[in-house]
Amino acid sequence: MAYAAEVKNIVKKFSSVTAVNDVSFSVNEGEIFGFLGPNGAGKTTLIRILTCLMKPTSGQASIRGIDVVKHPSLVRRNIGVVSQALTSDLDLTAYENLNIYGKYFDVPKKERKQSIDYLLGKVDLKDRAKDLVATYSGGMRRRLEIARGLIHKPYILFLDEPTIGLDPQSRRVIWELLQKIRKETGLTIFITTHYMDEADVLCDRIGIIDYGKIVALDSPANLKRTIGGFDIIEVTLGNFGTEAMEKLKAMPFVKSVTEKDESLRIYVEDAAKSMPVLFEEFKKTGVIIEYLAIHEQTLEDVFIHYTGKTIREAETQKVNFFIGAGAPRKMPGARI
Amino acid sequence: MRALAVSERDLKRFMRNPFVIIASIFMPLMYLVIMGNSFQGELKHLPVLLVNQDSGPYSRRVVELLQALEDGPRTLEITRENDQKKAVDMVRDGFYKGVIIIPPDFSKNVVKNVEPQVGLLLDNTDSISAGSISGAVSRSMAYLKSDYLAVRPDRATPQLRSIELYKKIDYDASLVPGIIVMAIFMGTTFTGAFSLVMDKFLGIHESYLSTPLTRFDLVAGTIMSGVLITTVMSIIVMIGGLMITGIKLAGGIGTLLLLLVTMVLTALGLLSMIFTVLGRADHPRIVGVLVGFLNVIFYFPSGAVYPIESLPNWLRAFAKVNPEAYAVHAFKELILKGSGFTAIRGDLMFFVAFIAFMLCLATLTFKRTM
Repeated sequence: MAYAAEVKNIVKKFSSVTAVNDVSFSVNEGEIFGFLGPNGAGKTTLIRILTCLMKPTSGQASIRGIDVVKHPSLVRRNIGVVSQALTSDLDLTAYENLNIYGKYFDVPKKERKQSIDYLLGKVDLKDRAKDLVATYSGGMRRRLEIARGLIHKPYILFLDEPTIGLDPQSRRVIWELLQKIRKETGLTIFITTHYMDEADVLCDRIGIIDYGKIVALDSPANLKRTIGGFDIIEVTLGNFGTEAMEKLKAMPFVKSVTEKDESLRIYVEDAAKSMPVLFEEFKKTGVIIEYLAIHEQTLEDVFIHYTGKTIREAETQKVNFFIGAGAPRKMPGARI
Repeated sequence: MRALAVSERDLKRFMRNPFVIIASIFMPLMYLVIMGNSFQGELKHLPVLLVNQDSGPYSRRVVELLQALEDGPRTLEITRENDQKKAVDMVRDGFYKGVIIIPPDFSKNVVKNVEPQVGLLLDNTDSISAGSISGAVSRSMAYLKSDYLAVRPDRATPQLRSIELYKKIDYDASLVPGIIVMAIFMGTTFTGAFSLVMDKFLGIHESYLSTPLTRFDLVAGTIMSGVLITTVMSIIVMIGGLMITGIKLAGGIGTLLLLLVTMVLTALGLLSMIFTVLGRADHPRIVGVLVGFLNVIFYFPSGAVYPIESLPNWLRAFAKVNPEAYAVHAFKELILKGSGFTAIRGDLMFFVAFIAFMLCLATLTFKRTM
């Protein structure tokens, strides 16, 4: 079976800068695959190669088994793209934006109308369908652009940092929307982000890219495990004696226990799995839980572990001779 | 001090935009060359036909004097033609500015002293050229008169009978065709390729470049919308121009249709050309600089305000490939003369070839990827 997306030894060079350096990975059908990396790590370059916006210097990439360099038109029919910049037309209504993109993909009129109604409902913009996009907030525009990316029922949806610049509420709405779409349609989703919580909540698997190379690739839980260290359950207990302490230390999932002030710090591999067993044991021995806090390993720990703490230089931009350095490359929400 | 900081910022940004600096220096000099050579005082090389139906000695003398005009101040470029009707048709079709007719009995009438006349039929839709031709031929006839005075003072003075082929057209009215072409040019600068440049500037293009749209779809689509907007604009400008100058459209429904075809082809030609030039631009600053430049270099050597025939050789050579020159000619023929298809056939053929070439070039040079 062909992968939803497959990348083999992709290299992309810009003059002397290697933005993507011999990257290989595959995305399974129906999964949400996340690409995580610092600024300038090569995430956007890679997504542009997969969406036929850029040609790789060497290597191969395919969508549904179709080579992105040899058959770009065919690939474009199979993909939906939500770019990093907000790209919906401000002078058109939401309905018009979707309708025009439906035409770009040759979606028949009747089907197009049905899809637009369905998608506007999904992204909760049905009531604003006839309003100019210029009147929308950033979150609304992003939801509209997700709907636009789905207008032709793509096989795989690419999202390049879809929640950048959005408030926490809007981010959560986008996450729920993507999860709902995947659940209902089985759509494969490829997402780049540098928000750890976003990758943790959304992705089945995550690839961490740094300096153009993949440094780690696995599920969020496995990635957390691979870097070692444990979750910490911090408790203040009543009616807790030496016998109870011995029993606690003997439990198979407990790695160690330390005392700090009035509290205990219990080190376990997986706090979520350990808690029910601990509660049961405390109940049996008559121990009372007065205070409880959990400190889990986060993806941020994983990210820092693999990419270090050094702030990255942005990808080298070539200064345009004609216009100098003044041209903005990304202007979300900009309007003239 | 704060004002100095504002100036410092502006100066540094300006100095780091080499194209703008070069354009700021180069373009005024280009304007000097183009405009300086487009308005050159006395007109030259005005093409006229000479139909000499008289074989007598006095007609030969007239021809010699006209020849002197061609060889000396180079006011006229004379082509001989035997068929008077054909000659008049060629003037009507815009190939020549006028026709000088020496009738068969000219020499006989000089000798007989019965008002010998030389006819001059003028295309008065180009009032500047018509005035210059009329003046130059009149002065030649005056030399003829002084010749006679020296030899045979009792002979009749030859008269120049000047006939204007069209109803009188004021100078402002003669500018209307050029103004329509200017409107079309202006329209092509903020539609078509400009939309794509703005999309690139705002980063919007990424979304549609990842759709199945081909390079041709993008080029043809933006040009088509540009043609529609520009044609409607030019129709409004034409109606406004006709109302302001008080001229009535000569010709009937056929002329109106030809006008529409010419507008569409002119818009298509200019949009394709602008697309080729701006297809890879990604900043509106480039559009601003180039558009101002192109407007000058295409408009002034187009015949809109000054006859192409009187431009220096290199500008006349440029006018042969200048689409605006063909458009101005076609609009003059249709609006001021009410001419038919024959008169503008060459202009339309040029546009068809020009559009095909520019569309291919625009499509080939347009970058489909980022």
